[in-house]
Amino acid sequence: MKMRKEILLAAALTLGSGSALAAAPGGPDCGWGNLLFDGQSGMGPHFLALTTNGTFNQTFGMTSGTNGCSTDGALTYGGASMISSIMDEFSEDVARGHGEALDAVAVMMGVDKGDRAAFAKVVHQNFSTIFPHDKVTAQQVTDSLMTVMKSDARLAKYAA
Amino acid sequence: MRVQIRYLSLSILIFLTSFSAAAFAEQGNPVKPIQAAAIEQQLWQSPEWINLLHYYPERFSKSGYRSHVDDRSFFNADNGIEEPREEMLATIAAFYREDELGNMHPICRFPARLHWLSEHIEIDPDTLPEAACADYVEWRGIVQAEQVTLVFPTYHLNSPSSMFGHTLLRLDRSVGETGSKWLSFAVNFGANVQAVDNSLLYAIKGLTGGYPGIFIVTPYYNKIREYNRIEKRDIWEYRLNLTPEEVERMVVHLWELKEVNFDYYFFDENCSYRLLELLEVARPGLELTDEFGITAIPIDTVKAIEAAGLIEDSMFRASQMTELQVLLEQLSDDETRYFEQLVENVGVVQSTGFIALALTKQQKIIDAAYRYQRYQQSTMVRDDALAKRSHTLLGLLNKYPADDTPLPIVVPVQPEKGHHSRRISIGVGERDEQAYQALSMRMAFHSLEDNGHGYLRGAHINMANLELRANNETDKVELQRLDVIDIFSLTPRSRFFSPLSWRVYTGLDRQMTDGVDRLTSHVTVGAGVAYSLFDDAVFYALGTGRLEFNRGFSDKRIKPAAGAAMGLLWHFSSMTTRLELAAEKFSNDKYRSRLQLRHNMPLARNHALHLSVNGEKHTADRFVDATLSYRYHF
Repeated sequence: MKMRKEILLAAALTLGSGSALAAAPGGPDCGWGNLLFDGQSGMGPHFLALTTNGTFNQTFGMTSGTNGCSTDGALTYGGASMISSIMDEFSEDVARGHGEALDAVAVMMGVDKGDRAAFAKVVHQNFSTIFPHDKVTAQQVTDSLMTVMKSDARLAKYAA
Repeated sequence: MRVQIRYLSLSILIFLTSFSAAAFAEQGNPVKPIQAAAIEQQLWQSPEWINLLHYYPERFSKSGYRSHVDDRSFFNADNGIEEPREEMLATIAAFYREDELGNMHPICRFPARLHWLSEHIEIDPDTLPEAACADYVEWRGIVQAEQVTLVFPTYHLNSPSSMFGHTLLRLDRSVGETGSKWLSFAVNFGANVQAVDNSLLYAIKGLTGGYPGIFIVTPYYNKIREYNRIEKRDIWEYRLNLTPEEVERMVVHLWELKEVNFDYYFFDENCSYRLLELLEVARPGLELTDEFGITAIPIDTVKAIEAAGLIEDSMFRASQMTELQVLLEQLSDDETRYFEQLVENVGVVQSTGFIALALTKQQKIIDAAYRYQRYQQSTMVRDDALAKRSHTLLGLLNKYPADDTPLPIVVPVQPEKGHHSRRISIGVGERDEQAYQALSMRMAFHSLEDNGHGYLRGAHINMANLELRANNETDKVELQRLDVIDIFSLTPRSRFFSPLSWRVYTGLDRQMTDGVDRLTSHVTVGAGVAYSLFDDAVFYALGTGRLEFNRGFSDKRIKPAAGAAMGLLWHFSSMTTRLELAAEKFSNDKYRSRLQLRHNMPLARNHALHLSVNGEKHTADRFVDATLSYRYHF
């Protein structure tokens, strides 16, 4: 239990950079936007960044941003910003019912190893609830995910 | 356990240094005795200190050293960049600074230095000021690592700085399988770009050291997206056998590099070189950087890390593109037709033909169509209609039972198992019944004909390739050619993918002009298509252009030419043959045509026999030139 809290804490903190990136997707100083889901746009500057393995920000894994990105992307729940960073990947894994993005979200939410298969199964069954359309936002995805988990006997404890 | 104790002692040292004021007054200044001990032991000469400050031997510096770090804030002494001794003494004094006890206090900024010094000199924690290192504590809570993985995204020819590949480190949290590698942190060294320059300027500045280099720490999922999905590069991951104690040492030092600017030069002081330095800090006694004084090609640094016995095992992470191709190969002709229709029209799933297919087949077709759409989307701005269709496809895919059978991806030969990147050749040849000896030397990296084991097929990158010839009759030694840069990207097209094949090379070579063999300088480019004829043979055709400076040309000596080239590249067992027919015509109506054969027969990983035969016609001059050489990669 203690371990889980630690993971959760680390995950929530981890998100800092993710949330900052998600705050202004496609903005001049920020990271990658999502491609499938709405709220993203061009990636021009990022391609330039790649040509020298360069970076436009100085992110160091911290919550407090030194990376020049806006940090006002609502971090109402620890999972929100991370999900927005990997929303495409997560949606694919939810649709398929397995995958590393799905595992990452499970670990982030503190789902014990023994419950990961159940987590995968439940989200797979609820793809259309979690990703109802292509304009869904990360916050909506997070909210739906919590609702789905709450209504499952085994997963409810992780969504409390 | 030992690690925890060490970490705890460091923590105590840093955070629990209370009661200091009184002790300070009673014992007098604690700085002097510590400095005296450092001087007595000549500690600044120890390799650990040299590594922590990123010093390298520098002839023109008084101390014999200079630091790669180009950032005043990294040093405590005014001349710290060149003076390891002064920096050590100033650092000791700085730890006792009583002003500004927050995040910027040297105790918070340089925990690895403090830790290392306290291992060698007795530093009473009670005498140290009580600095509040909130940021460091927060960061250590986030970035927790017990293992380090070396990550090598493979070669990417369409981006100048990625064509040699790239390396980064990944800090992994749990040894067991309970964690998620996606949530590990990637440690990446790259150019620190302040403003959005245009891409050409960007590349030039990047190559020449116009940008400083900086470390960033970011979740690994960002890197997977960047390399696997956007750049479509496969990734190799090498688990290193660093002990938790060594990992700890690296992470503590990494903190000292936060927002610190380094010199950044593309060829040597690059991403890969910096990672070697981090490994040297992690494991004292390790010597990795010495052999990379001139160039540090990422894969060569992987080889050095392997030679040092650091690699435990390797893992292949296929790119989105590789996965899609494997998936498409599994489809029959009929299924491929459905796939093709489905990409354009989601309604196809309602057709009786589609419904009649086995469920697992339907699932594969939908999956392939979805992935193909994402592939198409990945290089353009988001398209609403396409996003809607992709979402619908995902919804369809979701109707099938979860199937976690992995794709049957054939893991290629590990890149570090390939031949070395420098090459020297000695050969004998004959041209127009005159015999010669040839000596050539190439700094980097891989030719189409070289042993392809471990390399990306169709990726040809040569830099600084020089050939000298000694003519037996005339006893003259002449420069035959110098390729400054020579890149050829040969990617076969298929039904669903239409990559461009292209080449560009520039340098000096010899051409017959009105009966005289002259050294010319040139830039030659080409672009076109390539197709797989059968598994191991690729046919290509390119339109070419050449701008040549030739003293044999009358009036203007610089003249452009247009032409074409077509060829066949054939790999069989470990041998490679390339046959090319090329012709070009200059603006002054001079023309050249050339039929060339290259055949390479590897003898061992780093040894090969090479046969080269050229039959050429340069306007009125004709000749045949053949060389047989032995090639050694080192």
